[in-house]
Amino acid sequence: MKTLLSCTINAEAHTVLVDARDTLLDLVREGLGLTGSKEGCGNGNCGTCTVLLDGAAVNACLVLALEVAGREVVTIEGVARAGELHPIQSALVETGGTQCGFCTPGIVLAAKALLDTNADPSEQDIRQAIAGNLCRCTGYGKIVDAIATAAARLRETAT
Amino acid sequence: MNLDPTGAPTAELKVIGKRLARVDARERVTGQAIYPADLKLPGMVHAKILRSPLAHARIRGIDSTRAQAIKGVLAVVTAADFPALPVGSTIPMGETGYDMWMVAAINMARDKVHWVGQPVAAVAAVDVHTAAAALALIAVDYEPLEPVLGILAAMAPEAPVLHEHVFTKGIEPRPRAASNVCSRVVISRGDASAALQEAHASARVRVEVDTAHQGYLEPQVAMAQVDANGFATVWASTQGQFTAELMIARMLGLPASKLKVVPLEIGGGFGGKIAIHGEAVAVRLAQKCQRPVKLVLTREEVLQGGSGPAAGALIDIAVAAQKDGGLRAIEGTYRMDAGGLPGMSPSLLMQASAALYQCPNLSLEGYDVVTNKPRTEAYRGPGGIQAAFAVEQAMDMLCQKLGMDPLEFRKRNASVTGSLMPIGTPFPAIGLDTILEAVGRHPCWTEPLAPGAFPRGRGLALGYWRGTSMTSAAHITIAGDGRPMVTMGAVDLSGTRSTMAQVVAEEFGLAIEDVHVQTGDSKSVGYSDGAAGSRVARTMTAALVEACADALRQLRMRAAEKLQSAPELLHYADAVFRAPQPSGAAISLAELMQATLTDGAVVGRGVSSKLPLGVEIGAHVCDVEVDTDSGLVTVLRYTAFQDVGLALNPIAVEGQIEGSVVQGLGWALLEGFDYGPDGRLRNASLLDYRMPTALDVPRIESVIVETPVPNVPYGVRGVGEVPIVPPAAAVANAIARAVGVRVCRMPMTPERVLAAIRAVQAGPT
Repeated sequence: MKTLLSCTINAEAHTVLVDARDTLLDLVREGLGLTGSKEGCGNGNCGTCTVLLDGAAVNACLVLALEVAGREVVTIEGVARAGELHPIQSALVETGGTQCGFCTPGIVLAAKALLDTNADPSEQDIRQAIAGNLCRCTGYGKIVDAIATAAARLRETAT
Repeated sequence: MNLDPTGAPTAELKVIGKRLARVDARERVTGQAIYPADLKLPGMVHAKILRSPLAHARIRGIDSTRAQAIKGVLAVVTAADFPALPVGSTIPMGETGYDMWMVAAINMARDKVHWVGQPVAAVAAVDVHTAAAALALIAVDYEPLEPVLGILAAMAPEAPVLHEHVFTKGIEPRPRAASNVCSRVVISRGDASAALQEAHASARVRVEVDTAHQGYLEPQVAMAQVDANGFATVWASTQGQFTAELMIARMLGLPASKLKVVPLEIGGGFGGKIAIHGEAVAVRLAQKCQRPVKLVLTREEVLQGGSGPAAGALIDIAVAAQKDGGLRAIEGTYRMDAGGLPGMSPSLLMQASAALYQCPNLSLEGYDVVTNKPRTEAYRGPGGIQAAFAVEQAMDMLCQKLGMDPLEFRKRNASVTGSLMPIGTPFPAIGLDTILEAVGRHPCWTEPLAPGAFPRGRGLALGYWRGTSMTSAAHITIAGDGRPMVTMGAVDLSGTRSTMAQVVAEEFGLAIEDVHVQTGDSKSVGYSDGAAGSRVARTMTAALVEACADALRQLRMRAAEKLQSAPELLHYADAVFRAPQPSGAAISLAELMQATLTDGAVVGRGVSSKLPLGVEIGAHVCDVEVDTDSGLVTVLRYTAFQDVGLALNPIAVEGQIEGSVVQGLGWALLEGFDYGPDGRLRNASLLDYRMPTALDVPRIESVIVETPVPNVPYGVRGVGEVPIVPPAAAVANAIARAVGVRVCRMPMTPERVLAAIRAVQAGPT
């Protein structure tokens, strides 16, 4: 059975027809062609599908599409503004915090959820924030460095 | 480029060796990078694979009539839809090739199933839900057979035999009965057994290594499209487009003129995406239903028999030394658990366990054994971590018996340039002594361990990986503005586009931004072997140095004509050809190409095959704390020393080392396949198969040592594989120093650590 719902995705209003079985990940990837969110496991264990739902990082594979009616979703496609990378993204580029890239979109959003609420996170805070996002390539060190660098730059621009 | 006799570049490098960002990083951090799962084609339908629920059974028949009757089901295939490939039908890949009989069995079982999760049929339907519903209606008539799960059980003479045609290789005369032991390898030198008897001190250990998975985050995906002329295109997540093409073509009986494999971004491979896992099945379904077919494996399929994990092992090792610490003997028995089909030769693992020590007496015997578990495949330095877990613990035990510092013991016995490798040939230039000197100076070794709430210990372990070279090809076309456009035959697993852009920029005297590098599909560039064995950066560098020279030679001829000079007199630097004085006339590559565009293309070609090996050597130091109440091991500090020859890009090199170490720590402490007595994997999810998170590992420090490989452009070594080799042994040695127990089974889970501690507390029984 299909249902019509309205929500905001990457600051744009969308009205979409969804199947009751569809997840939020199905909606963004298959329905809207926003394929930056990845499916690594389909049951909430890997974090590659992380998106922001009303500002909080969630696994899009664990949210039913029907649940997002009236809510605001940010996917990786909505993080860079007009081609300008978010400081988390540019720091990941510089430090080598992205290798195969499959976990990267989820990491960016998990980190954004952290920095949106905590301007000066400790290394432990950063590790905690991305603990739900598996990365098999980097060993995490360069990702943690990138997020710390981005936090420092954001603090500079805020003052 | 300039080479001095040691292989080290003599001119100052401008682009190579710099800490540059990956050229493809922006599309990764913005989600624009395209992986096969992101593709959508008009009219596309979806495939699902039916997998065996039994570990060992004969297939009496398959009835798919009910499945085919469902609305929306477009095609069903079984082994009957593929030609039967005989044993020994090989395709080239590296030194041994691939036996297509086995590749076919990984993709579609015929007559018998040998593990839970082996494919037995596949369906294409209008959506995944319909395809899944159809699978449930395919009736497979199995005759269950007794599963053989343990290595020793499979080696027992009375064990049920998995493959009636497998006779143990490496035994003379050829055995008369089929066996689960597929091959036996012996490496020997001197008289190890006598040396063990006579030595001042000896140590023995038996280790068991559970099967683990490569754990790439992107499950296997294939998209297949067949056009009206029967030409098939496959978009795949593969480590090698040419190997994939050969495998698909042989499984389907397709000529090369009817098939193309397009490699897209790959979400990790680590050895697990060399062979195909469903690509040929997707093409057959697409041929049958005349629609593009997309096959996406689920994570459960990836773990439960749909892709090859890494081999488990059971190893006995004994080592002996004289009083001054001089190593006298290494004796080892290595049994590799290949899973349901014959696996790799144990030789590499055996070499890895003995290569780093000068030892006059060796007796190493290895067995490749089949069991009713998923057919294993390569995983980063295959066999290396298993070997090191055994030999590096044995050496540490020997040091404890001798009362000798483990670093001094290694320095005393380390292989050096010219030492004999286990196979009897001398080592080319290696830097193990330099690495050990660096360890001795580093704070990770000199600083005392701070006390903690629980006992702490420091462990040292070495790692060796031989790597491979094989074939790499590339070509460079010069654009109308003089810029080099590179097409290479290798898939980019580890930043290859970036490091190869650096190589070409260096050779041309350009900036990295002036070079474009792409991976070609299987129809657009010369044959290259897959991205595996730490071979691509080295061999593609060699191929591109040749291709650059070829292109520059052609450009020089054109410049000579324009500048009215003999070609050999022209000076080339920084993308400008200059005639000698008195004329001194100059022409840039941009001007030259503008002036000669109508003379035809400038295409420089390069190929590398049989490049000298770039053996990889590392030494790791690890500090742990062992919670003696729970058995939990926390890694406090980790430092990896590695000789990389020359770091093309230190960021990329560190990234390879750090990631590889963390994979090793995962296997050391967390990751192991847990099979039930029926051969079914009980932890087939990423919750129950626990890979390290950011909270499980410390920051990994890498210390890069550079000993160039002679006669190799820029002296580059392999990098990515050896850092996974020492971690389990380094952790085990640290645990032993902390709490005085040896945990001889990987992963060293809290339960196993606690059991080892309690066993020692209880005393000998």
